Amino acid sequence: MPSKGKAATKPKATETPATTTSNPTTTNTTSQTASQPSEPTTVLERSQQRFEKTRPFEAARRQQGLSRLSKEDQKGWICDQLLHLTNRLPAASRSCLLGPKASKEIWWTVNGTNSIVRGLKHKPEPYTTWGTDRNGHDVGSYTIERFDERFRQRIALTALQVSSRVFRENVEREKRGFVDARSGREIIVTEREIDEEKVRRSKMAALKKDLYGAITGKLAESVEWEDVVPIPHEEPEGALAAITYPAEYAEAMSYLRAVMTTKEYSPRCLRLTEHIIAMNPAHYTVWLYRAANIFALGISIPDEIEWLNEVALANLKNYQIWHHRHLLVEHYYPTISSDPDALAQFAKQERDFLIAILSEDTKNYHVWSYRSWLVGKLGMWEDEEELKSIEKMIDEDVRNNSAWSHRFVLVFSNPKYATPGKAATEKDEKVPQELVDREVKYAQNKVYLAPQNQSPWNYMRGVLVKGGQPLASVQGFVEEFVNKLGEGEEEEEVKSTHALDLLAEIYAEKKENEKADLCLRRLAEKWDKIRGGYWEWRRKCLTQSEREKAPGEQVEKAEEGIAAA
Amino acid sequence: MTQSFTSLPQELQLATSAHVKYIQSLDSRKDEYDYWLTEHLRLNGLYWGLTALHLLGHPEALPRAETIDFVLSCQHENGGFGAAPGHDAHMLSTVSAVQILAMVDAFDDLETRGRGKAQVGKYIASLQNRQTGTFAGDEWGEEDTRFLYGAFNALSLLGLLHLVDVDKAVDHIAACANFDGGYGVSPGAESHSGQIFTCVAALTIAGRKELIDVDRLGRWLSERQIAGGGLNGRPEKKEDVCYSWWVLSSLEMIGKTHWIDKEKLTSFILSSQDTDKGGISDRPGDMVDVWHTCFGIAGLSLLDYPGLEPVDEVYCMPKSTIKRVLGR
Repeated sequence: MPSKGKAATKPKATETPATTTSNPTTTNTTSQTASQPSEPTTVLERSQQRFEKTRPFEAARRQQGLSRLSKEDQKGWICDQLLHLTNRLPAASRSCLLGPKASKEIWWTVNGTNSIVRGLKHKPEPYTTWGTDRNGHDVGSYTIERFDERFRQRIALTALQVSSRVFRENVEREKRGFVDARSGREIIVTEREIDEEKVRRSKMAALKKDLYGAITGKLAESVEWEDVVPIPHEEPEGALAAITYPAEYAEAMSYLRAVMTTKEYSPRCLRLTEHIIAMNPAHYTVWLYRAANIFALGISIPDEIEWLNEVALANLKNYQIWHHRHLLVEHYYPTISSDPDALAQFAKQERDFLIAILSEDTKNYHVWSYRSWLVGKLGMWEDEEELKSIEKMIDEDVRNNSAWSHRFVLVFSNPKYATPGKAATEKDEKVPQELVDREVKYAQNKVYLAPQNQSPWNYMRGVLVKGGQPLASVQGFVEEFVNKLGEGEEEEEVKSTHALDLLAEIYAEKKENEKADLCLRRLAEKWDKIRGGYWEWRRKCLTQSEREKAPGEQVEKAEEGIAAA
Repeated sequence: MTQSFTSLPQELQLATSAHVKYIQSLDSRKDEYDYWLTEHLRLNGLYWGLTALHLLGHPEALPRAETIDFVLSCQHENGGFGAAPGHDAHMLSTVSAVQILAMVDAFDDLETRGRGKAQVGKYIASLQNRQTGTFAGDEWGEEDTRFLYGAFNALSLLGLLHLVDVDKAVDHIAACANFDGGYGVSPGAESHSGQIFTCVAALTIAGRKELIDVDRLGRWLSERQIAGGGLNGRPEKKEDVCYSWWVLSSLEMIGKTHWIDKEKLTSFILSSQDTDKGGISDRPGDMVDVWHTCFGIAGLSLLDYPGLEPVDEVYCMPKSTIKRVLGR
């Protein structure tokens, strides 16, 4: 390549306007280069000026258009283009572009016009080399000072990244038991180095945020999770219900996926599940994984239950918490089953908590189902405290149907006197009469407190069925709530529709159909109109009571017949 | 028995188009906090929304192709479906998936683009505890009669009920019967309207309704109606629109819907609507959600409210779908 082409060098930033005279200003040219540039205010301007200085013909063309340039300048431009074109070609092919004669001519022209061989590469508009900053602003619009500041920040970040890389490599070496070549000792990562790295990481995170707006998650930043590659959530293309997660949750889930894939069970995983549960306690997978960790690490179950208690109190409507507790108890039970004291102690702890949480939400279905299961699991039927606790709850709110339901379980599934496997709805001969009497009395006492409350009435019926006792055995009691039935609107007194209902059943049981019908009619007409359809059906059943009331199907058929009529 | 609705106040009408718009809008609220918190219900939510739309007579309001794509994207290799893409498979979302595909008539897509019916059936069957007969929700092992019902529901729609031990499952349901005539979540647990629905519907699918003490259960169910006309889930609890479904469909299955006051219930459901922005809430004045919208509309359909598609009381899906899939 001709050496004469090295006439000019790339102008520097500190270039003064005087150096522009090195531009081709041969006497023949009438071209006007870009007007004397003022001091650039932004880095973009600076780059543009640099470009124009080394590519004056191109600058001129951009300003005026090729057709308006002088012939000399046009020629200069063409040579300029060709020069840059050939510069980009590999050396070997350069001579192939044009024949030797044409090449010579180009170089002769180039010499004549004093073109700058090494001009800056042509870049298309818009000239956005640096991209945008964290606020979305074009970095090209920065002032020189600000740009330099940014540059310094980037250098600082790079330096930190280099040091961090050294640290990470040392961690890896330590893990693999490498030996330092010079000292001959095993590589250890000291506490101090870890602390330094932590500081470094937070500086890196701050710089990244400042420069690029990139938020480094706490987990990604932490030294503890160094070796885990998180698995981000994959959304299929154009998903119907694609989701935007809060960054912290998304990050935590991506780490969870990673450790679940490798089936890691460790303290940090346990902490991770706690972290996620705090954000979204309804996510069932994370509970499953937590349980696996608890068991694998041999964490003390009572300790875990203590933690769970807090979570339960904060999330009263959550299902998963109670199933988790169920799993914990199943796991723990074999270790205490042969120790009556330990069992009693555990039962007491559980009950204390159940009482506490039920005081927040007295009818919580999950808690009550857990409680009735626990009675069976820990064999708490004879536990006086359990019965007392239920009685207390009924004292506090006689309308708490859950408490009544639990009492039935407690009393009538006691293996001491209940036939195992007997359905709740079946009579059980084994149940002692005193017990039946006691429970009937208990229900009746509670009825007095609120005669229209349904629970003790249902309870009493259930007890009578269990004990195989006829409903008529409580007729006296029931009649206390119904007075002067059918003797006129003014006279009639019904303190409980459930009493009236039961009375109708009692009369039917005794085949006193007229009396039964009166009760049912009054219920439909006045005392419980909303269930009119039901009372009417009962009345019709009476008229067929000569034939034995058949279960299920036959009664339905009879009813259909009635409905059609 | 048809109801005369001339007694209803004029302003209590079903705001059909508002409800349709509400359901359509649900998918667009992706940056709301609640949206990602309820991600574990996403597929279920789609089932509730779609059912409501079908019953309202607007099945086309959600795009069919995208719906199928989304459902299939939730499927795992084992055949089960998660609540959302990337979520682990679970019984409840699997059931919702099958129900959705049935409604949009996409079982073929399940065969060609999904893992196929057989694999889904296999997944569901794997969740049965062969000793007790009951079903777990997932490998975690939580047991609940909801999962048992779900299994029967989905398997019967797929024609694969024979894959599980129906008799053992039925025995388990019988063990959940309580002294007051109701059924609980597990043996000994308190009677609860929702659990009653699952038990009664499961027994219906299994053809074992004779095990139900119809009179006692019917009576317990009829007692759910309180003075305001709404139904509650257990004695002495507040009325809630979703029980309009659980209680009413149970009554329908045992043939005793006339044991409640239908007009009052209808008024209650209609008063719980948001007639402006659409959707139905648990009771008048509260915030709406798609769950209550679905079950409120299903309840109205059972009550023969005019202009609604008939709903199948066992499957909580349009009767037309059940006819197409099961031929009855």
